[in-house]
Amino acid sequence: MDDDDLVARVAAGDDAALRDLFGRHAPWLAVRLRAVLPAADVEDVQQETFLAAWRGAGGYRPQGACGGWLWGIARRQAALLLRRRGPAEHAGTTLPADLAGRDAPDPAETALARADLEVAVAALGPAGSPEREVWRLMYEQDRPVAEVAGLLGVPPGTVKSRAHRARRLLRAALRVAEGGTR
Amino acid sequence: MSGPRNDAPDDVDLGRVWISVAGQVWRRQPGWLERTAGRLLRSPGLARALLTTPSLLLPWLLASVAVLAAGAAATLSSGQPLVALLAPAVAAAAIAYSYGPGIDPAWDLSCSMAISDRMVLLVRALAVFAVNTVLGLAASAVAAAVGLPAGSASGAAAVVTFGWLIPMTAVCAFALAVATMARSASVGAAAGVTAWLIIVLSGRVASGNFAAPVTDTVLFLPYLAVGAGCVVVALYATRIPRGTFS
Amino acid sequence: MNVEITDLTRRFGRNLAVAGVSLQTGPGVFGLLGPNGAGKTTLLRMMATVIPPSSGRLRLLGRDPGGYGPRREVRRRLGYLPQNLGYYPGFTVAEFVEYFALLKEMPTARVPAAVANAVERVDLGGRARAKLRTLSGGMLRRVGIAQAIVNEPELLLLDEPTAGLDPEQRVQFRALLRDLGQRATVVVSTHLVEDVGAACSQVALMDQGKIVFHGTPAELTARGTEHGTGDAPLERGYTAVLAAARS
Repeated sequence: MDDDDLVARVAAGDDAALRDLFGRHAPWLAVRLRAVLPAADVEDVQQETFLAAWRGAGGYRPQGACGGWLWGIARRQAALLLRRRGPAEHAGTTLPADLAGRDAPDPAETALARADLEVAVAALGPAGSPEREVWRLMYEQDRPVAEVAGLLGVPPGTVKSRAHRARRLLRAALRVAEGGTR
Repeated sequence: MSGPRNDAPDDVDLGRVWISVAGQVWRRQPGWLERTAGRLLRSPGLARALLTTPSLLLPWLLASVAVLAAGAAATLSSGQPLVALLAPAVAAAAIAYSYGPGIDPAWDLSCSMAISDRMVLLVRALAVFAVNTVLGLAASAVAAAVGLPAGSASGAAAVVTFGWLIPMTAVCAFALAVATMARSASVGAAAGVTAWLIIVLSGRVASGNFAAPVTDTVLFLPYLAVGAGCVVVALYATRIPRGTFS
Repeated sequence: MNVEITDLTRRFGRNLAVAGVSLQTGPGVFGLLGPNGAGKTTLLRMMATVIPPSSGRLRLLGRDPGGYGPRREVRRRLGYLPQNLGYYPGFTVAEFVEYFALLKEMPTARVPAAVANAVERVDLGGRARAKLRTLSGGMLRRVGIAQAIVNEPELLLLDEPTAGLDPEQRVQFRALLRDLGQRATVVVSTHLVEDVGAACSQVALMDQGKIVFHGTPAELTARGTEHGTGDAPLERGYTAVLAAARS
């Protein structure tokens, strides 16, 4: 039974389907959340996530993006929890503005965006691929274009176009990460 | 995007999380009547026992409505106080069916509960009695408002329409006593209905009038005495220890 | 000591179902063996405060269940699975367990999680909202076990709990028993000898209203080395003791 069928059954009120959904998706959601939150908070957020999924399954449009939909619910619940805790709790990474999403200044969102980002960067390709290297040097290590061109042994124009491609890929990956319907 | 199917982190107890989710998903959401009853009785378990477990209560309530409605209609057309005559019989049967064994498939288990079977019986019996009283009063009021045969004094009409409450109490108590002694709801119901039939018929024989049992005010005190005695019998029969039958 | 019984008897008319039983037990799993009609069910019903004893002394969880107040306190901490448990066909599994949790006067806030826990422990999590009328006999028995354990009882009384369970489910059930026996007194009445051997730390054998053996399963096995009949060592002990008691 694939994920879309499961969610359809959950929407129809089948609690055994919710149980199966939990069994499949709770583990990786826990890993993702644990990167950002302490264990006790992960448990609370998981609980709220699956209760929200139980109530809101009717709004899911089957596109094969069930994981993204669940992650979207989870990150909203996590953000709620972090906001309740207080603004000073989490030091977020600063991301380039066009990648951080609409709520960029919010540290809660930023912390979650960091978790998203780590996964999205993997979408650029294996470590050592051209886009990944450019990303690593230009954005993670904050070097200017000329220096990166020298390190990689390619003309600056190539660096710029690879950077442009990397940002495009990342934006697409992050959009999928936010997932489902808002 | 579905992520890799890793195992969960060691310090996150997903079993506990599922139990919390399942607890909310599986719980029964009581309706407003059950919630109100729970607050009144200060016990959600007692409210649930009153309103949800299978006893023949619901079918009997529906039957009571039907019977008393028919009685009101018949009273209007025939002038006999049929509502007054029917109400006690209907109520007695309903009261008897509020008792457990024979009706409750999980009877043995119910007898080991902190909320005791006697409490449940008491609450059910009172609820049945109250509902039947209200239904009977409504049916009588309808019949009285539309009018008994011309020439009846309004005082006599009031006695007939409302005087059946006392015989009803007596007959209900009798049915309950028999049900608890015999540990069978059906026996109690049969006993109550039969007793009432005997009373009505002997009234007819004695005074030529079917309505005698409900109009003869001399009988009220004996009715109440019998009723009180039967209540004592029912309390005795439901006490713990319960005697020597298995 | 959770259970202290001294010279307990129970009479029905002229029939002496329990004819002077004495035993004491604390936490752990206690097996009650015996043929049909030995008085096991009657003894369990007295321990569940469903019927009073005809004579003798009964103390449960340190209280005398003769009085209304102590009896209510005992019942809040009690779990009981009768031999023939009827069910309400229109209820779901979770509703049935929840109903009895409320009747045991569990604190309302704790009920949903306790019900979910009990249902999952008896492996009915995939059927929590199925109507009872759709379940098989073995599943219904597991529902009965779930309502008995929902309030984490200190005294758990199970009368023929494995009736209708297949062998794999019986193995899971014995694991559940061992787990429950860590903190509570669990009394299991059964005529299936192998259920007892695997899970119980103490065994009593009843015949015709009396206890004819009380000890460990190993001691019962030892009684059967030369004289008993049966396929398994424990069964041979069982038949040997019964034969000796009746001769």
